[in-house]
Amino acid sequence: MILAVVDLETFAQLTANGISRGAAVGLLGVGFAFILGVTGRFHFAYGAVYAMAAYLAYTFKDRGLFPPLVDATLPFWPAALLGILVVTVVGVAIERFVYQPLARFAGVNALLAIFVAALGLGIAIENVIRLLWSSSSQPYFGPVQERWSLWEVTFLNFDVYQLVTYAALTLGLAALLRFTPLGRMVRATRSNPDLALTIGINARQVYLVVFAIGTFLAGVVAVWSGLQFAVEPAMGTRPVIFAFAVAFLAGTASSPVRVFLTGIVVSLVEQWSSMWLSVRWTQTAVFIILVGYLAWLSVKQSSLYTKIRTRNAARVSPARA
Amino acid sequence: MQIWLNYLVQIIIYAGFGFSLNLLLGYAGQVSVAHAAFGAVGGYSVGYLTSTQGWSFLPAVAVGIVLALLAGFVIALPAMKLTVEFLILLTLAVSFVIVGVFSSFPQLGGTFGFTGIPKTELFGWTLRSPGDWVVPALVMAVVTYLICRRMGESAYGRVLKGIREDPIATQALGKNVFSYKLAVFGISSALAGLAGGFYSGWLQLATPTVYGFAFSLTLFAIVIFGGLANLHGTILGAVVLVMLEPLLRRVINLPAATASVVLLIVYGLLLVVLMLLRPQGILPEGARPLARLRYAVTAPRGPGQPPLWTKLRRGAAGDRLEMTADDEWSPSVDLAALDGSDGTAAVESGDPPPPPPTTSGEHIHVGFAAHEEQVVAERRWSLAPVVLEARGITKRFGGIVAAEDLDIDLRRGTITALVGPNGAGKTTVFNLLTGFIRPDAGTVKLNGTELVAMNPDRIARLGLVRSFQDVRLIARISCLQNVMMAVQDQDGEHLGKLFFGGLAASRSETRTREQAMRWLRFVGMDAFADVPAGALSYGQSKLISLARLLATDAPVLLLDEPASGIDTRWVETMLEMIEAVRDQGRTVCIVEHNLHVVGRLADHTYFMELGRITAQGSIEELTGSPELAEAYFGT
Repeated sequence: MILAVVDLETFAQLTANGISRGAAVGLLGVGFAFILGVTGRFHFAYGAVYAMAAYLAYTFKDRGLFPPLVDATLPFWPAALLGILVVTVVGVAIERFVYQPLARFAGVNALLAIFVAALGLGIAIENVIRLLWSSSSQPYFGPVQERWSLWEVTFLNFDVYQLVTYAALTLGLAALLRFTPLGRMVRATRSNPDLALTIGINARQVYLVVFAIGTFLAGVVAVWSGLQFAVEPAMGTRPVIFAFAVAFLAGTASSPVRVFLTGIVVSLVEQWSSMWLSVRWTQTAVFIILVGYLAWLSVKQSSLYTKIRTRNAARVSPARA
Repeated sequence: MQIWLNYLVQIIIYAGFGFSLNLLLGYAGQVSVAHAAFGAVGGYSVGYLTSTQGWSFLPAVAVGIVLALLAGFVIALPAMKLTVEFLILLTLAVSFVIVGVFSSFPQLGGTFGFTGIPKTELFGWTLRSPGDWVVPALVMAVVTYLICRRMGESAYGRVLKGIREDPIATQALGKNVFSYKLAVFGISSALAGLAGGFYSGWLQLATPTVYGFAFSLTLFAIVIFGGLANLHGTILGAVVLVMLEPLLRRVINLPAATASVVLLIVYGLLLVVLMLLRPQGILPEGARPLARLRYAVTAPRGPGQPPLWTKLRRGAAGDRLEMTADDEWSPSVDLAALDGSDGTAAVESGDPPPPPPTTSGEHIHVGFAAHEEQVVAERRWSLAPVVLEARGITKRFGGIVAAEDLDIDLRRGTITALVGPNGAGKTTVFNLLTGFIRPDAGTVKLNGTELVAMNPDRIARLGLVRSFQDVRLIARISCLQNVMMAVQDQDGEHLGKLFFGGLAASRSETRTREQAMRWLRFVGMDAFADVPAGALSYGQSKLISLARLLATDAPVLLLDEPASGIDTRWVETMLEMIEAVRDQGRTVCIVEHNLHVVGRLADHTYFMELGRITAQGSIEELTGSPELAEAYFGT
């Protein structure tokens, strides 16, 4: 085992990397936690929808609006925006036409049924992408990448743009939840869908809005990530699994800001651990932390009884359908 | 030909994986997307030991099984109290950790894994062609099937299903949920290790990709597709998922690369459609493909619709029993059969039986006339020996006092009632006595044994059981199975006796069934024995819940609102049965709002307000007190 000498420069560089990656994972975590926390759907297809956003943006810019028929392409920004919006509609459609009927039929087993359906959707969407665009990665160019440096630390202009965008979106969502009537409706539904129903809030419509917002966030991250790296069918898998971890570590019902910051902390831990561990171990390290956290959570459940009571209460709630 | 034999071996091995996953996912309800990782433990053991250490195949598989068993135990600990979404996440993380750790060791081939595992030798016979693998793989799958079937379709599996649907209710019946979960995680994982060993031996590969997350999802899909808690469904699932590939490639003639992509799209969409149309899988729990035909001929009664029910009506004087056949079902109990002494019609009623004998107490016969009831009751109460003695029980949740310095005595052969306004903490008292909530201070002694700090299942086994206000039957198993689950000391619940005890387990199962039937008959619900508990009306489920509680044979019973939410006709029946149980010498404590019920049943009454006992005595004394009348009775 070789213990690398830790110098300040490396540390600063790793910190910068951690923040930049953490912002992406953090925002994905915000989206996933928002969906799971409010609707109770384990939206495993999130990663595939994410990849779809990047592919659509890329196609609208480089291939045409509808390649077999319409060859006209869009400039980068409108193409990116259109891709994100289309995928937002897809996200809403999944909730409306798959998850909501399932929740109605499956009753107490809705969580498992929705997880399985989401799994299936994820596999199907990823492979539809392979079928339509080929399995290899696609180069995708937009704004020019520049290398900036500040005190010995180098980073890309993209890193800065992303951090700003993601932080702004997180704060925007937090503000939306806190200050707007829509936000109040979402919070009411999150805490008790049945009670929300009694004051005239339709949980199902709120869920559609939640899926729109959650999917939109994934789309934004996907476009940036496609630009910075490449567009490929499985691009959603790893970031989204990290995002799951982040969402659960932060708590799915907690504020977007907290989830976002958790994402940054997790990435920092991952980056910093590379000073002592080989790269392969650092990726595993995050999951080891997650398992440790879940073990702690399990031990902390001093009373099984109270836990199950609340779960059952949530399960039988008809408004969740 | 060779290629088809290859598909056959693949189906067999996938089915082997599927059986063990179904035990965990279908029977025990523990969602795991880490099954491939447990398989990897077996596969890598074979890879490492046979290709670098020169071991032969079977010992290497054995090592893999042991390591996978340990891995399963380790996962079971954090998984113990997690809800479904956290369990999905945990197993997801575990699958990445296990495969990640394997690919981090150069000794294990790093990211490449083992790609050149030598051809497997069994007893000096080298397995060269796919055909050679059919029999060994079949042996592996059959052994796995038999183990899973033995565990799933027995008294043991009944408890697993109970844990799946309602771990609290299962624990309240004295089942050690912890050890069941530990065992089922361990054994399921060990069997995955076994399948993994054969899988790697057959593929001659053990790589991170082979055992990646995608493989976990495939196994998950096989089990879901075939049907949860149905092992035959798993075979079907394995056949369909494996054979889709040749179907696309050879029949529809797609090029190999496209076929594999289309295959996955079909997989994915199949799962979605399946969840929408048939979420219980192709072969749902309990369905046997071959039994279908027979089933159709002797079609069972629809739930809640017994074809003929003998309805008993007690005459006004109580000295005549009238029997009518009626399609409207009404509950009944025959008091005459319980108390032969008063000679009222011992009777043409025929069937309704006395409560089965219990070992918990001798019969106490106290004859008394109706108008002296209260006086006699108090005297009976004061003479009876104390069975359960709670002293100074205190529990606070944050600033809220749920129970403050409670002293409660339950005496043998008597009924004690706990009354008080909503939120007084009556149900909390039950939770405190039975160990579901641990008191901050105080002692609870059952026949001198200290119960505080014991787990609820241990307390139940010692003879203190409770019912739930919300009944908590296991909805998807039959009423009979629900009651059978409550019978204590079943041989079929011990893995050792289940596998090595010869006929002990099946004999015990027969005894259990008889015992459960007697209790069903006692509550007048024997016609519903085969009806799933979820199909019952509320009142009926309360009767089953009483039968289930009584079947534990526990001497002390805590009944949470036994008569609430059921119509007047049922109430009478319920009360008669509780009295019958009391007369058998069992100790009963009820929480009840209905003062008619309390007045009729209770030998002694505690009045609770805001977590404190503020008065006790006979119900007449309590209703006579002006302060209490104001606090609760509202006059």
